[in-house]
Amino acid sequence: MSQKLLDVENLTMKFGGLVAIDNLSFSADKDKITSIIGPNGAGKTTVFNCLTGFYKATAGSMFLNKENERLNLRKFSDFKVAQKAGVARTFQNIRLFPQMSVLENLMVAQHNKLMDASGFTILGLFNSPSFVKKEKEAVEISKYWLDIIGLTHRADDDAGDLPYGDQRKLEIVRAMCINPHLLCLDEPAAGLNAKESAELNKLLLFIKNEKKTGILLIEHDMSVVMEISDHVVVLNYGKKIFQGSAKETKNSPEVIEAYLGTEE
Amino acid sequence: MEKKFFQTSIKDSLFTGLIALALFGPIVGLRTVAKNEVLEVHPKWFIVLIIVIVCAVGRFLTNLYVYNRDQKTGIQSSIGKSISNFLDTKGYQIALTAIIFSVIFPFLPFTDRYLMDIAIMMLTYIMLGWGLNIVIGLAGLLDLGYVAFYAVGAYSYALFAIHFGWSFWICLPIAGIFAAMFGVLLGFPVLRLRGDYLAIVTLAFGEMIRILLLNWYQLTKGPDGLTGIPRPSFFGLPFKSFPDEGEQTFHTFFGIEYDPMQRIIFLYYLILVLALITNLFTIKIRRLPIGRAWEALREDEIACKSLGVNPRNTKLTAFAIGAMFGGFAGSFFATRQAFISPESFTFIESAIIVAIVVLGGMGSQTGVVLATVFLIGLIEVFRDFESYRMIAFGGAMVLIMIFRPRGILATRKPTITLEKSSSK
Repeated sequence: MSQKLLDVENLTMKFGGLVAIDNLSFSADKDKITSIIGPNGAGKTTVFNCLTGFYKATAGSMFLNKENERLNLRKFSDFKVAQKAGVARTFQNIRLFPQMSVLENLMVAQHNKLMDASGFTILGLFNSPSFVKKEKEAVEISKYWLDIIGLTHRADDDAGDLPYGDQRKLEIVRAMCINPHLLCLDEPAAGLNAKESAELNKLLLFIKNEKKTGILLIEHDMSVVMEISDHVVVLNYGKKIFQGSAKETKNSPEVIEAYLGTEE
Repeated sequence: MEKKFFQTSIKDSLFTGLIALALFGPIVGLRTVAKNEVLEVHPKWFIVLIIVIVCAVGRFLTNLYVYNRDQKTGIQSSIGKSISNFLDTKGYQIALTAIIFSVIFPFLPFTDRYLMDIAIMMLTYIMLGWGLNIVIGLAGLLDLGYVAFYAVGAYSYALFAIHFGWSFWICLPIAGIFAAMFGVLLGFPVLRLRGDYLAIVTLAFGEMIRILLLNWYQLTKGPDGLTGIPRPSFFGLPFKSFPDEGEQTFHTFFGIEYDPMQRIIFLYYLILVLALITNLFTIKIRRLPIGRAWEALREDEIACKSLGVNPRNTKLTAFAIGAMFGGFAGSFFATRQAFISPESFTFIESAIIVAIVVLGGMGSQTGVVLATVFLIGLIEVFRDFESYRMIAFGGAMVLIMIFRPRGILATRKPTITLEKSSSK
């Protein structure tokens, strides 16, 4: 059996008396897309916030398995999850740097690498050749991703001026620029039209197949979920009520009940 | 339509007259005069009447000729746009001209002692503005206590120079380091604060430093201030009219007549160089990863965290580097004045520096220069009308905010562009 990329075991998150996530266990594979679905308020985004260090989980464990090490994600606090463990995320309401250019957005994502290369700014101040080289590489990586989402011609425009769909895509490739092992996407298809959704599917499949990055996806748009998910986890009231392939999920009575209610 | 507009305008201006009456009636109209140890009220209704009429008529005219126009916003923004367009396209030439002008300025025929003093003061404010621009403009941390670092720089320079007799060039970096340390000291407790809350805490910090300086009598001599701060020397050659026996001074070394202007000119070039270093440093660091992280932090802190940018270190470096330049400017101030006391580091100084940065356009280096020349120049022009100075100052700010709500120069240039880096 191949090792899972992400193992979440008995994760529990309580806010005071409110149990947002209740004893949740699931796993995600490397180069697979795992979707987390469920009605509003089911605790999907809370799972992400626990994974990416924005919340401290009340109980349970989260492990990320890299090639030769097993990282306990609970040990990392906020920005270190991205920096040390390589877990990237996007947000439900887009969080770009609107007044910075598209290229700059991607450069900020490569901050830690460039910061080391600039010798904590001192080498950078004097234009040391090693820093200049690293910076050029970072620009190349940014350009590579911009070519993929077709935004190279707008690289020097403010990110806030892009159309909504392009901002979504930019946020995803910005997360990819930190070179993550696991990419967590929070409703990437929200507000997209059919054509843009199709492009998004293509982008996600490309990341999965070519970049071998595991993707964890929260989504309400079933056309996206059903088409590209390898594995679906269904949450309701913080509990896992079902998991299986996309097709199994569609026909599961528990899932139908959670979404549509029971017949009287 | 036209008639109705006329009516509302008249109503509006009558209302304005009422407000003016309510305001100026008590303030201007009721004048109290002390006569034979009794306070008497001397009403001056005529002046009030004139003021009220001026306000009402003025309101009526603006209604008619300014607000009536549909293209009002068009005019306003087109002036601003053409200014910023001009500065954008010719920015390099303008900067070069400005630098050349400031280099030859001391030798221009009309330059006298008074103008030199103003120029030195302006350059000090420009340097402070550029330093604060790192904190406010780039990192987006509203710091209302910036004068604290100016004070720390000035006092650490003065104390080291007086007690150890170290020269300006040794004390300058020490003062910068001290100020930077205080920047980190302020930075730690405010790491989690933003916006209004941050502004309040930094304001309190500024006052704390001032009160500390006022009360730590053993070290700072409190309200008496520190006197006898060594004047700067020209690489070891002091500016003195009567040298001691066997002492080389600036004028004996170069074999020229002694002139008190020599020291002023030297001070001028000193602050010019310090300010230009601040500017070059800021321009450069903005294009480095740390500078980009500052701006990203200003835009969205949560997104920064999700990308693995360490917000703590990033903020602290912004505070420290901004404070360091404040400290440099402070030690210049101390050596120029030869006397410092907590009086010089009140909140109004912080307010002026913040005003310079905000009016100039946050993050804009040229904007800081324009705003300083405008504001400090204005204060100087109104020097003879002491009581109207602050009115002019406030009025100027209101005007800038009406015509350029985001500052004189609000355009931001990307720190890195694809065309340039790929064509290299």
